[in-house]
Amino acid sequence: MISLKLIYKILFVSILTIALVSCSDPWSDRETNDENLKLTLKEAILNNPETSKFAEALVKTGYDKVLASSLTYTVFVPTNDAMDQVPVSILNNTDNLVLFVSNHITPAIYSTVRDKASEKIIMYSNKYLTFSGTNTIGDATITTPDQYAKNGVFHIVNKPLTPKLNIWQYVNSVSSSSAMSKYLVSLTELNIYKADSIAKLVTAPGVYADSLSNSYLRNVYNLNNEKNSYTLFLMDDGSYTTEVDKLKPYLIKNNAARSDTYASYFTVRDMAFPKAYLPNELPNELTTRFGVKIPIDKTQIIGSPIVLSNGIIYRMKKMDVTLENRLLTKIIEGENNTSFFPSTSGNRATIFYRDRKDPANILYNDIAQYHRVTEGPNFFINYTASDMYSTKYKVYWRAINEQSNVFQQRLIVGSVFKADGTIDLTTSLMAFPYMGVDIKKYDEVYIGEFPLAQAGDINTISLVAAATTTIGNNSLTLDYLKFVPVIK
Amino acid sequence: MITTISTKTKKHTLLWAIALVFSLSSCSDFLDVVPEDKLVEEQVYRNVYDADAAVIGVYGKFMALAEKNVILNEMRADLMTTTRNSSPLLKEISEHNVSANNPYANPKDFYIVIQNCNDVLKNFDIMLAQKKFTQGEYDQRYSDIGAIRSWVYLQLGIHYGSVPYITEPIENLEDVKNISKFPRLSFNELLDKLVEFTENLPYKDLYSAESSMVITIDGYNTAKFFINKECLLGDLQLWKGNYLAAANHYKFVMETATRGGANTALYDTYRVKFAEVITHDDLAVGYVRYSEQDAKGLIDSNTQGWRSIFARDRDQLWNDEWIWSLPFENNFAPKNPFIKLFSNKNGDYLVKPSQSAIDLWNSQTQANNFPYDARGSKFTYKIVNGDPVIMKYLYSSEAVTSTVANTKGQWFLYRAAKLHLRYAEAANRNNQQKIAYAILNFGIKSAYQPDPIPTDVTNIQQTLLPFPYDFDARMGDFPNFRANWHRGAGIRGRAYMKAAGAIGDDMITTENNIIQEDALELAYEGSRWEDLVRIALRRNDPAFLADKVYDKLSKEGNSNASTVRTKLMNVQNWYLPFNWN
Repeated sequence: MISLKLIYKILFVSILTIALVSCSDPWSDRETNDENLKLTLKEAILNNPETSKFAEALVKTGYDKVLASSLTYTVFVPTNDAMDQVPVSILNNTDNLVLFVSNHITPAIYSTVRDKASEKIIMYSNKYLTFSGTNTIGDATITTPDQYAKNGVFHIVNKPLTPKLNIWQYVNSVSSSSAMSKYLVSLTELNIYKADSIAKLVTAPGVYADSLSNSYLRNVYNLNNEKNSYTLFLMDDGSYTTEVDKLKPYLIKNNAARSDTYASYFTVRDMAFPKAYLPNELPNELTTRFGVKIPIDKTQIIGSPIVLSNGIIYRMKKMDVTLENRLLTKIIEGENNTSFFPSTSGNRATIFYRDRKDPANILYNDIAQYHRVTEGPNFFINYTASDMYSTKYKVYWRAINEQSNVFQQRLIVGSVFKADGTIDLTTSLMAFPYMGVDIKKYDEVYIGEFPLAQAGDINTISLVAAATTTIGNNSLTLDYLKFVPVIK
Repeated sequence: MITTISTKTKKHTLLWAIALVFSLSSCSDFLDVVPEDKLVEEQVYRNVYDADAAVIGVYGKFMALAEKNVILNEMRADLMTTTRNSSPLLKEISEHNVSANNPYANPKDFYIVIQNCNDVLKNFDIMLAQKKFTQGEYDQRYSDIGAIRSWVYLQLGIHYGSVPYITEPIENLEDVKNISKFPRLSFNELLDKLVEFTENLPYKDLYSAESSMVITIDGYNTAKFFINKECLLGDLQLWKGNYLAAANHYKFVMETATRGGANTALYDTYRVKFAEVITHDDLAVGYVRYSEQDAKGLIDSNTQGWRSIFARDRDQLWNDEWIWSLPFENNFAPKNPFIKLFSNKNGDYLVKPSQSAIDLWNSQTQANNFPYDARGSKFTYKIVNGDPVIMKYLYSSEAVTSTVANTKGQWFLYRAAKLHLRYAEAANRNNQQKIAYAILNFGIKSAYQPDPIPTDVTNIQQTLLPFPYDFDARMGDFPNFRANWHRGAGIRGRAYMKAAGAIGDDMITTENNIIQEDALELAYEGSRWEDLVRIALRRNDPAFLADKVYDKLSKEGNSNASTVRTKLMNVQNWYLPFNWN
């Protein structure tokens, strides 16, 4: 036994020695004899019998010359079987084929040996593909990874990476059959806000023109942007009409066509979200960037979601959003005034933008006006309110009086000014009466209600001081105004 | 034959001799050339101007410690933290998990300065013995360099605990690590040595105005380049727990203008003066007059108000506040290291204010009831492109847009606010809570007057105590008084804050308020860690320090926060590894 062990030991040591010695010849190791590194990507792909069909497409589109250059690339090469799945509409149309081929090539090295779990990589087609794990690119699987050549690396994949439309391209492609899509596309011509019309004037034509001039892409989300991901709920015609009709009474404009445009806009602006939600990630409720809560009823999804290059579209049989959710309460912060009157520079010194903590220890900012020396009456501070609905509003304010006396102030909605700059009370939309501002009261106070006949912006809302010259009695204070729309 | 041979021999001998003579003489003449671009020892220490150059040289070396000093004293403590750009090495400093080769923790840089000091001190002794400069010239320069060395040793003690105390030049700097050659002193033993050495320096005042050290170079007067030895002595005595001695030293500096100065200088220098509410030509937090309730009325400028302490040129007001500060300029070395450290615009943005610090400023209430301390979010840091950026060091460099990159800045070393807070700390421990309260809050005048204030202030607005607690802040018109301290507003008064604590608070409460004020007022000026260590040691309460670091880490969601707290409950773990490669 012992002698056997010894023999094994000797044997082991000698094999190890031989192994170690034979392993390393560092000097000759410095040069590699790898034949792969003598070929360009073009040659390597052409030489591989498994990928000959993609190689043909490379030659046809001229991308073979790109892959013979000295820059470095990663190519995802579909097998010949995969290339057989590509429709002839792509293979026989040069433009489509160029887009198709360019969607497989990226000008950087991506090995499957990486430390990132998932990353979006931009292809020559300007579309992004998600490279996740060690073997998934887009919806294809890498079957033969990390084939390297002189100027880059290629991975053989089991499916063609046919470039997908983005959400906006898809919406355009179905605009003849979907009322909601048709409306979204029509916003390339229609204006919602004043700035939209200016954008349409200055935007040069081109692939990004819609991004800059379409009123939806400008004001909601740019669904034409390949870099980000979005979710769009595309309502069926029936549901779309129901939702728009629901909003129409609240978006009355000076003519019926404009009312329709606005009712449609305020319906669809709540249908896009800034993240691609996979079906298993969809919550029961989403909040739009405008603050509207949208319930998501998954049983109303038609078919499977449409996966696009920059997100997902869900076609919906029904998207029932209640008016309570839809109609937003408008809050105007006291410190966000647009102007004050009289606007002489001396009066700026009477206005204080205060930083405060309330008794509940919550930070707030407000505005206060205090006249240190006797000055004439008729002071007021102006605000504007945008996107108001054609309905009755209940109005509240939170106004914190830090003086030791109660003073009076009033609110005028839709103020109309006389030639001398003062407010014409008789023609203003609504003049609420003077109200006392209690000392150190941190609750909201109900002011009253007023009707708004037409939807849109209220250009001037004025907070008006008491008509007295007595110091401390012609002060103003406002944390915020709150306009609550009443459902008809 | 014989003759021939002898001739030959003679010839050979002669040749050898000639060769020898030439070779010997050539040695001294040709081989021993004095290099023209380097100085040799005999050329260096010849007269007082050479001595001046040696002093400036030490300060040049000393400035290389600026970045390290700020990082060690702030990143280890609770007010500063790491950013997305910080290296793992910097994170180690923040998390008290320092690996042996971490360059931020390398003590060698300190010993390079110490070695330089030791060399200069030795040569000053030789110069004095050889009568190359006068006793007076020697005293001033020797004391300056000696004090710098003590300052560096104090920092070493704070951060490394036990270190070798070397006072002679050594052959090989690597020997510093050799514990058998240079045994290490505990922090406490080191403090004893430093107090003894520094107290016995022959000259403790500033360089005299006639000295060749006080000149104007590149537009800078050099007077405030040099360490204030009385402040250092105050600090050393405070560390030692000799509170009266500390207060003596600090008060001596606080009364600088009393010993010479008239009118403005007499009333303003180092007295933490009240706000000029009309002109705003001051160093106080202030608002446009009568718009004190308007947040947009804050005086936020490089030339006016509290922010200007860190941004203004070295003018009269600058001199009222700054005791010791070394400038960085565009056109002379060393380069400003702070832009790289702090700026997210022109630098690497390696450090930022911690949430702890931000919360601390926002927990305060200003005199106008604004729910924060403007010294925080308005001045010490600002939100720049969405990042909280420490601005104290950047106001100068980011002020001027010029074609050349502006790298102006300074290393903030000692100013009146720090002096007052240190004095208050010493006074409080010396059972002078009321004086500490007054200095911390609204000044002597406010704390020593009844309400309402009588017209005749003859017997109020003063402490009526002997030095170092003697203050006369009387300000009245019938009869007229304008006493030396009448403009003193106190630290929180100048910062437009409500009072912290009340008259009658006990020692610990007052001390807590002072240390909190150190954070609010002096954040990122390189003294937070030493404040925490000093108080925690004094109270024998490691939790004082550990809890604050825990608060910083836990507020930023660091999973190691509890581990770090446990670690810091052991004093030995406060100290960095004493090692370098």
